[in-house]
Amino acid sequence: MSATTMTSVPRRRGNTGIALTRRAGMVFVLPALILFGVFIAYPLLTALSYSFFGWTGIVRGDFVGLENYLTLFTKLPYSEDIPNAFVHNVLLFVGAMLFQNTVGLGLATLLHRVRRFKRFFQTMYTLPYLVSPLVIGYLWSLMLSPLFGPVNAVLRTIGLGDVAQPWLGNPQTAIWVVVFVTAWQWIGFPVLLYGAALGGIPEEIEEAASLDGASAWQRFRSITLPMLVPAIGTVSVLTFIGAMEAFPIPYALGGSQGNPAGATDVLSLLFYRTAFESGSSNAIGTSSAIATLLFLFIFGISMLITWLMRRAERKLF
Amino acid sequence: MRRRILASAALLAGSALLLSACAPSGSSGGEQASGDDVTLKVWSWRTEDVEAYNTIFDVFEEENPGITVEFEAFQNTEYNQILTTGLAGSDGPDVPMVRAYGQLQPNIEAGQLEPIDGDVDGLDAIAPSVIAGAKGKADGKTYAVPLATQTLQMFYNKQIFKDQGLDVPTTWAEFIDVQEKLLAAGITPMALGAKDDWILPIFADIVGSARYGGSEFEQKVLSGETDFNDPDYVASLGIITELQKYLTPDVVGVSYTDSQIQFTSGQAAQFPGGSFEIATFRNQAPDLEFGSYQVPVPDGAVLDAPVSPAYADGNFAINAKSKNKEAALELLNWLATPEFGQLVADELNQFSAIPGVEYEDAVMKEAWANAEAGQAPYLLLVDFRYGEPLGTAVLGAEVQKMFLGQVDAAGAAAALQTGISQWFTPGE
Repeated sequence: MSATTMTSVPRRRGNTGIALTRRAGMVFVLPALILFGVFIAYPLLTALSYSFFGWTGIVRGDFVGLENYLTLFTKLPYSEDIPNAFVHNVLLFVGAMLFQNTVGLGLATLLHRVRRFKRFFQTMYTLPYLVSPLVIGYLWSLMLSPLFGPVNAVLRTIGLGDVAQPWLGNPQTAIWVVVFVTAWQWIGFPVLLYGAALGGIPEEIEEAASLDGASAWQRFRSITLPMLVPAIGTVSVLTFIGAMEAFPIPYALGGSQGNPAGATDVLSLLFYRTAFESGSSNAIGTSSAIATLLFLFIFGISMLITWLMRRAERKLF
Repeated sequence: MRRRILASAALLAGSALLLSACAPSGSSGGEQASGDDVTLKVWSWRTEDVEAYNTIFDVFEEENPGITVEFEAFQNTEYNQILTTGLAGSDGPDVPMVRAYGQLQPNIEAGQLEPIDGDVDGLDAIAPSVIAGAKGKADGKTYAVPLATQTLQMFYNKQIFKDQGLDVPTTWAEFIDVQEKLLAAGITPMALGAKDDWILPIFADIVGSARYGGSEFEQKVLSGETDFNDPDYVASLGIITELQKYLTPDVVGVSYTDSQIQFTSGQAAQFPGGSFEIATFRNQAPDLEFGSYQVPVPDGAVLDAPVSPAYADGNFAINAKSKNKEAALELLNWLATPEFGQLVADELNQFSAIPGVEYEDAVMKEAWANAEAGQAPYLLLVDFRYGEPLGTAVLGAEVQKMFLGQVDAAGAAAALQTGISQWFTPGE
């Protein structure tokens, strides 16, 4: 938007249909630009610059180049925590993607066919999405408590006592609880997005296909799914960002240390610990390095997903 | 979409900026020490204690005419950032409440606090492991007056002990016998919230401090004479495995708050915890009759008498930029008197850092008497929270692994040694 405005010469009546002088254009862009600069660009650049310095408390020391970044990969606890946390972030992403593109898409397709109670079900599925993830996390940790939690109690009453587990105490199950709760909370989002995308597919196409003798599966496979690619792309990118910066649910379920024994640790928790709970006087330097890496990674991969999805779209149409 | 990406990443990255961005709104700062009337600004993170502190400082104001204390409390979780900004600017407090041990170091290293050695009387009377919480690690100078002490011990439900015909154990054999009898009676012997890692080094010290040798061991580790691979320390961690059968099955799934409910509801007979629990237990279960004891000395222990591990919790310091240093020193001198210590006990229901204070609450009285008879530093908090990774965090995760059967005592001790070696060099 800003690019079009800025490059447009005074008399040009291009696709905008509005004639603006460059100066007038700047004036319109300025408020947004200032907000963007103060609240987004400036903190980002400061964090970036912080990561290249040594710190004693809040006093900035010497320029240390990439030393803070090296620390992250060579020194304990970071060299062990980062890969561990990163794997959990990836699990969160994969789990959420699987859940949303199967259950989410399935629900959206079903809801698309249903006429009665459609709004009601849409609202129901979206409700968890509207509650603070911290609250969701605490509610689930109460439900899964091995002492007082209803989940194990129900399992025992129906004769499945062997399945009852200290869900959040066992490292093998704890991370999957985090994955499940995250996916569970987010499910309303793909249901809404896919629902809207499904509504946007012209009925004539499907009608024509069914007249030509295409089965229901063939119609879904060759018409509905390709038409959904843009929506799948959007959901993928947003899920990726959400999974990489996951904080409230892991925090509520496993605390800032990613209990038990680091089994639910994620990168944002590591950042939080380093920045606000660490006894190290170089906390600012190290945590800024983590934040910068995380940003670059999220940004890069998001761009990649977007590019891949665009390419897939172009092939389709 | 891109804006969202940027915005979200900026939120993360920007958190670092918060350290310098959340300046508190300036009220009446900068009063000159002209004339006799001085207003001292005191900052704290104890928002729940504002009334009590106002009562306490009324006493001071009455005894020191001309000095007015303006007490202000901020959200605990945001206090570190608020204080850091306040001390960096010209509008900060004269006397800030500061954290103890490792978390105090950033303020000292940044030169924000005034050393007070020789200017405050009564510091010598304070226990060494407590005053250590107010000292600079690098220069060894004292920068603050300790406010409160926390002691670690075993709490027990008096009613359950009476019903089961149990006495407070005084030997290790009796201690194990109590656990066995409780187990046989179908009562969980000890409530422990092992899902929350921070409680675990506390548990380790409550049952194991005497085994590895308390402050004797502390000296040896600090000087480099031994390290955490020491057989005595490994044996002290071994006690945890030995006691695991007396905890809830699947203890690693139990959260700290769950364990408090287990104890206050009478489902568990004992609770290894800090003195800060006393007020919580009183609130949660006003009718609960409980007491405390020091875990007896196990076989082969280095010490021959039981100990209560202890640590300092909070300090009052002087802002290096304060314009009212003289009055601030007067206040700090008063904060080091038994009179203030008594007010801490009566008004704040905490153990004062100053010796010679009387406690009215029966449980506090008992716990304090025990701690005075035998005390040790809560080792990992007192000495090993000065770098990343924190000693408490490493051992917390390792004890969880021990409960899960993933590591033995020797492995946990080795991991602790490797962790703290990242920043700790003995003899410095």
